Amino acid sequence: MRRAVIGLAAGLAVAAGAPAAWAVTRPEPAAGVPVAAALAAAPGTTPAGTAPATAPPAPPQAADALPPVTVRDAAPPRVAAAPPAPQLVAVGGATAPVDPVGVTRAGLMELPGDVDRVGWYRYGPVPGRPGSAVIAGHVDDVRQGLGALGRLRTVEPGDPVEVTDAAGTVTRWTVVSRELLDKQALPVDALFARTGDPRLVLVTCGGPFDADRGSYRDNVVVVAVPA
Amino acid sequence: MRATRSLALAGTAGALALVFVPGTANAADTASVSVLHGVPGVTVDVYANGEELLSDFKPGTLTDPVSLPAGSYDLAIYPAGSDPKSTQPAAKADDVQVPAGANATVVAHLNEGGTPVLTPFVNDTSPVPAGQARVTVRHVAAAPAVDVRAGGQVVAPGLTNPKEATLTVPAGTVSADVVLAGTSTVAIGPADLTLAEGTSTAVYAWGSQQAGYQLAVQQLGDAHSSPSGVNAGSAGLAAEDGGLPVGVLAVSAAGIAGATLAGRRLVSARR
Repeated sequence: MRRAVIGLAAGLAVAAGAPAAWAVTRPEPAAGVPVAAALAAAPGTTPAGTAPATAPPAPPQAADALPPVTVRDAAPPRVAAAPPAPQLVAVGGATAPVDPVGVTRAGLMELPGDVDRVGWYRYGPVPGRPGSAVIAGHVDDVRQGLGALGRLRTVEPGDPVEVTDAAGTVTRWTVVSRELLDKQALPVDALFARTGDPRLVLVTCGGPFDADRGSYRDNVVVVAVPA
Repeated sequence: MRATRSLALAGTAGALALVFVPGTANAADTASVSVLHGVPGVTVDVYANGEELLSDFKPGTLTDPVSLPAGSYDLAIYPAGSDPKSTQPAAKADDVQVPAGANATVVAHLNEGGTPVLTPFVNDTSPVPAGQARVTVRHVAAAPAVDVRAGGQVVAPGLTNPKEATLTVPAGTVSADVVLAGTSTVAIGPADLTLAEGTSTAVYAWGSQQAGYQLAVQQLGDAHSSPSGVNAGSAGLAAEDGGLPVGVLAVSAAGIAGATLAGRRLVSARR
């Protein structure tokens, strides 16, 4: 009889405790500074040697004084060697291989079909260069299950991120921001900025799932700064 | 949008206007102007409104964009080191209207007949779609009509001096050459041109039969667009819609089942 009482109590505790524990431990929809603030912070110091191809026009002079002029060779330039692309990213307890990606026909960022791999937006900066280096991956797939960024929605400010590039160099980053952002109002120009301080932007899907359309309402966006 | 007019030869005064292009925010009262030298064999000094803008300007070179107050300019090139008061200009263009916000390149080049002229071109730096690049090819060589080819395919047919053709193409490196229109007689190239994503590039065919034909390349600046979004999930395994995840529900249900079982045992033991 005593065992039955204990069993009853334990059963009820589990029945009520599981949802309670879930509610307590589930990640907040956002953590750290807002993504917009993390990306807008301290815009624009361009390190030496990474100046844009075209220098901005010199400031205007008085109307009667002509500004100084810089002259350069107009012959077709040699193709500059591209900096090594990121090859591995470690975040949220998972390490994923990185593929360089572009855009789909519809103009969306392209992603590897394999949910265990992630894509680096190759038209934007490599991690560590001015602007936002964007790495994104599928959170899940109907056939393949949970993806490499399946736990991105649980990373917290202060968590480390490591990026290994094709030359084997490891750069370390610290998460400053995680936020659920509505896909319909995604601040793409901030997320994909090509100027400003170096940022690592990790993107996957999250928020409510629309089973009929087979898609999530939101993007999980994590912003990290150099550690 | 891209009207261009060949200008005035030595000693004549021609008026022309650079077509207005809506500028960027801080370009309210200024225009961005660069100068390309495409007259073979002559080093020149460039004058604007009678003042020397730059000296010893060599063929095949170009200036970075200069921010000039909007207004009217008399432009002229003189053989390097000559006194503009006592020398005829090699080419000149008077009353060139430079409207606020314009982005233009003034090109010193030969016309089809081989006479030096100054031609202003308006540069298109409006955004291109993500993944794309813009290239504008300009015929400023002492040559008849040409076809511009990329990878052996004609992309700009029948271009005449000083006309231009603008293409928006997938970013990448193309092998470009210039042939006499309607023929496969190569006049320039092939040369590898790297059209980086989100850039706008002007490519000039310049020179003459005697001096040789060449390509000049000018980066017109940043014209990139961002991707429209990131679609990164299709199964709903990570959904957060306020409801309990299946796993938590299962554990909770198991607890209820256990409690029910224990409760039944309790009841039957009491009987």
